[in-house]
Amino acid sequence: MTNIPVKNIGITAEIPHYKPTNWKRYFSFSTDHKVIGIQYIVTAFILFLVGGIFAMVMRGELITPESDLVDRNVYNALFTMHGTVMLFGWTFPILTGFSNYLVPLMIGARDMAFPRLNAVAFWMVPVAAILLMVSFFVPGGPAQAGWWSYPPVSLQNPTGNLINGQVIWLLAVAISGVSSIMGAVNFVTTIFKMRAPGMTFFRMPIFVWNVMSAQIIQLFGLPVLTAGAVMLLLDLTVGTSFFDPAKGGNPVLFQHFFWFYSHPAVYVIILPVFGVFSEIFPVFARKPLFGYRIVAISSLLITAVSAIVWVHHMYASGTAGWMRLLFMLTTMFVSVPTGIKVFAWTATIWGGKLRFDTPMLFALGALIFFVFAGITGITLSSVPIDIHVNNTYYVVGHFHYVLYGTVTMGMFAAIYFWFSKMTGRMYYEGLGQLHFWLSFIGTNLNFFPMHPLGLQGMLRRVSSYAPEYEVWNIISSIGAFMLGVSILPFILNMIGSWMHDKPAPKNPWRAIGLEWQVSSPPPVENFDEIPVVIGEPYAYGKSEPLVAERK
Amino acid sequence: MDSSITNEELHHSEHEHTHDEEGNKMFGFIVFLLSETFIFLGFFTGYIVYKTTTPNWLPPGVSGLDIRDPAINTVVLVSSSFVIYLAERALLRHDLLKFRQYLIVSISMGTYFLVGQGIEWSHLSFGFTTGVFGGMFYLLTGFHGLHVLTGILLQIIVFGRSYIPGNYDTGHFGVNSTSLFWHFVDVIWIVLFFLIYIWK
Amino acid sequence: MKIRKILLLSAIAIALTAVSLWIGNQAYSWLPPQAAAESQLFDKLFSFLVTLGAFIFLGVTGTLMYSVIFHRAAKYDFSDGPPIEGSIKLEIVWTAIPIFLVFWIAGYSYLIYEQMGIQGPMEAVHIHIPIGMKSASAAPLHKDVVKKHRYTKKERKHSKTQKTHTGKNSLTTISTVMPVEDIEVHAKQWAWIFRYPKTGVTSTKLHLPVNHRIRLAMQSEDVLHGFYVPAFRVKQDIIPKRNINFEFTPILPGKYRLTDSEFSGTYFATMQTDVIVESPEDYKKWLAEAVDGKPRIANNQAASEYAQESKKLIKGWASVAPAQASVVNSD
Ligand code: HEA
Ligand code: HEA
Ligand code: CUA
Ligand SMILES: [Cu+2]
Repeated sequence: MTNIPVKNIGITAEIPHYKPTNWKRYFSFSTDHKVIGIQYIVTAFILFLVGGIFAMVMRGELITPESDLVDRNVYNALFTMHGTVMLFGWTFPILTGFSNYLVPLMIGARDMAFPRLNAVAFWMVPVAAILLMVSFFVPGGPAQAGWWSYPPVSLQNPTGNLINGQVIWLLAVAISGVSSIMGAVNFVTTIFKMRAPGMTFFRMPIFVWNVMSAQIIQLFGLPVLTAGAVMLLLDLTVGTSFFDPAKGGNPVLFQHFFWFYSHPAVYVIILPVFGVFSEIFPVFARKPLFGYRIVAISSLLITAVSAIVWVHHMYASGTAGWMRLLFMLTTMFVSVPTGIKVFAWTATIWGGKLRFDTPMLFALGALIFFVFAGITGITLSSVPIDIHVNNTYYVVGHFHYVLYGTVTMGMFAAIYFWFSKMTGRMYYEGLGQLHFWLSFIGTNLNFFPMHPLGLQGMLRRVSSYAPEYEVWNIISSIGAFMLGVSILPFILNMIGSWMHDKPAPKNPWRAIGLEWQVSSPPPVENFDEIPVVIGEPYAYGKSEPLVAERK
Repeated sequence: MDSSITNEELHHSEHEHTHDEEGNKMFGFIVFLLSETFIFLGFFTGYIVYKTTTPNWLPPGVSGLDIRDPAINTVVLVSSSFVIYLAERALLRHDLLKFRQYLIVSISMGTYFLVGQGIEWSHLSFGFTTGVFGGMFYLLTGFHGLHVLTGILLQIIVFGRSYIPGNYDTGHFGVNSTSLFWHFVDVIWIVLFFLIYIWK
Repeated sequence: MKIRKILLLSAIAIALTAVSLWIGNQAYSWLPPQAAAESQLFDKLFSFLVTLGAFIFLGVTGTLMYSVIFHRAAKYDFSDGPPIEGSIKLEIVWTAIPIFLVFWIAGYSYLIYEQMGIQGPMEAVHIHIPIGMKSASAAPLHKDVVKKHRYTKKERKHSKTQKTHTGKNSLTTISTVMPVEDIEVHAKQWAWIFRYPKTGVTSTKLHLPVNHRIRLAMQSEDVLHGFYVPAFRVKQDIIPKRNINFEFTPILPGKYRLTDSEFSGTYFATMQTDVIVESPEDYKKWLAEAVDGKPRIANNQAASEYAQESKKLIKGWASVAPAQASVVNSD
């Protein structure tokens, strides 16, 4: 019944085309999309640890109601840098990394459309990251105005220096933005122009659909953020008055610039994760993706709707009533295409032949977290609710459920799923399962208490709080430390298995997809001969082949 | 033109490339320009919001902007779009001489625009930090001016490369994209001109 | 067979509904006391959303969990599942249901928001669904509140002194049914000052007469701040150089916490004070005493922390100095 013979299970692959032992190329200006992909992923993970350590200090401070561990402005710097590093250093780069690694393989291309641009875009990420770290050592310290950098607070410069944390922060964000635009141009071109013969749009894996939808958002959103950032930078350095109310400027306009991008940005982050889900569920349920076409199209619908909802971050700003209500309706509409996806995954899993290897566990856990976070998101989009919980821990709870629970867990799912493809080695299942359970429980302990705290009125961005909030905060901090510990088996697993000798099979999951038809790791130009695609991407349980027989 | 086609085919069969580099580059460039449009849209929206909501829009002592010189500038810049188009046409006919002549004209027109802009700036009574109006005015014209400068530099590069023998055998991506960029800069200016000088 | 399936499904749906309703009911206990009319409106809406959310969450995860438990592959069963590729009928259903739910949630939220009327007359929304308005009456004072959109700009200016013009859209009815108390709010890094225009009293704590419509005129000296009282469920950013109006109605005497809700720099966390909701008599008494209060410099936590040498484990950087200390009649 299946198009992947059972007898192939567990058989190790032929000798790969080249040995991946040449680790030096990962530190060089390589233009191979697979090397760049791994460069992105590893860099992102290191930055995740950095952002995570900031979070550990924050949770250490918050374990008691008083502000006793760090100075208040250190705390402010920590959450600013935590948010910035996690978003611009962890989520974006790792998603770009996976997209880089997988898109050319999945569409049957030898590389990205512009390999050199690709490499340049990557190397800007470490530059931005180093800049951010350097800002800890300039007088006045790093930026302390939160990751939104709302003026006028972000314009207050107590040291009076031209080179201050906020300026460096803006530069780093700008560099990361330029890098992302370069990446977006590259991805969109690659997906439109480099597909293998027969790889029509409706034969592309959903992951590719989602990367495309996400990168389109980058193309229209990032420039607008750049416009706002340039104006802020000018206010800060030259003394213009765009956002400075004392000089007649309008600080709320900055909020519009910022959220016009930074709201859609959350869909840039989540869409590839949706793609990962769509790849993993069919494989571990041994069933075709339910409603492939409408799932594909719903990605583009999310892109479209994401552009017209940004004001839901500004309900409590000086926003007119009609605007609050209008954007409430548009925001809620995101749940329609998103719901389509969630239901499609559920139906894919339903009645399948389920196996719970680590990637599946992570994907399933992430899906459950997502449904929860999506629903708290819908409550936030309701204006009267948000008027109460805006800028409280309820919001922090919402977005960590999605950013840790869904995105980070989804990324772990992807790492476990494609680890053998990337390294030619298999990870240790036991450590993977341990990692899953620690993170599943840790996430709930860490981020669930934030919801009752927010409903009770505990504000975000405070280093001291009223004693009545203490109990939930202790639980949250314990969860946070547990999440910190959960990373250790993961690191052990990755390093241990990468150094392991035993080669992994070419297709350990019996998955359908062009990337699974090449050796692990794939040869330098991916395919000996560009495949001709004749089948659907998720033909599990059917006996149709994916690619045409070679002559 | 014929020679270039066969050359391209040769190139392909040799390296077994299934995609055309030129086409990708042009596609990517258009995507980039579309993206770039959104920066300007951001600035334009900012301008409109400020203009309609700022209580004292014009700085004290400024009653409005002189429109005559900028109007001439506009005509020059917009016409240069036609000139660069003629250059492109000449290249298609393999008339390199005409191609270079048109390019020089177009470069000079762009330079005229930039110099005109500079003269206008130097005569203005308000500066970059004079309120939101001053900021917006210099931001928009300056950012656009940077693009004009880029366009001129690109044209100079294209001009220079026309002296490399065989440069156009593999296609005209450089010229076509420069020309496209130049049109883009023009269209942006038309909107800008309307917003800043005409809209009262 | 089919009937059994339908029966089973309805039984599950009913059980799910019951559980969700129960959870929705619990939602009230997760919130601070209902100290304002707006709190009641909020809690009702929130409970509704929690019910619906619980239903969706339990529905989806319940289905997933059922699969997880009952649809596992046997250890050596490497065959594939049924190759079901989709179902137009199902897909239409699960597109239509969320659309319906969205309109429901949005419509309900809209009604509640209208009834709160927190943004004051100028910001009122002028699209109205009169039928809905009636059906969703909850706050005791809401029929007065919803009239607020009828104020005209001119009237609003005058309403500070309560001497409203008796024009076409007269205010008099509202003022007699529900007295309005005007208070000015001044925010600065990092202190609150409240000013009572009728008496000229200034105070660092916000005193409010119970069951009065409170109308705040809010201003900031430096950066963004936010006015937030969790027990009232209301919040509004304050933007420098703008006068922001804000309204609500406290209904429960007591002492509540008022916090700054928009990050405002180093000592943001300290920018808190108390709201004291008291009977109109007590309120008047307090005002009368305060008028005679000698102006004095207000205590300020940010200022004292700024002046003190930091005792923290990890020391920080230079900070913006707190704004000049305020002089008030009363704490
Ligand atoms: C990847 C990240 C991500 C994702 C996917 C989302 C998804 C959503 N978010 Fe979230 N959000 C953030 C990251 C994300 N968010 C961040 C980082 C912030 C805070 C930033 C900051 O302030 O620092 C934030 C803040 C934020 C706010 C502002 C709160 C405030 O500051 O006051 C709001 C308000 O509307 C909101 C709403 C939503 C909604 C409606 C969705 C929707 O997309 C969710 C849709 C999904 C579902 C609804 C579940 C599945 C659907 C079904 C099962 C169908 C049926 C359901 C219904 C009909 C309800 N989010
Ligand atoms: C992808 C994005 C992302 C991720 C993954 C996280 C992960 C975490 N975040 Fe979050 N966070 C944000 C994005 C993210 N965050 C954003 C955008 C903000 C808003 C900022 C702003 O307001 O401007 C925010 C704000 C924020 C706050 C609110 C601060 C405030 O408003 O005052 C808190 C508080 O608890 C918090 C905690 C955490 C914790 C405990 C984790 C944990 O999950 C981290 C787990 C990871 C590790 C721990 C690292 C790895 C482990 C080791 C290095 C080894 C072991 C170490 C030890 C045990 C010490 N974050
Ligand atoms: Cu004080 Cu924000
Ligand atoms: Cu958003």
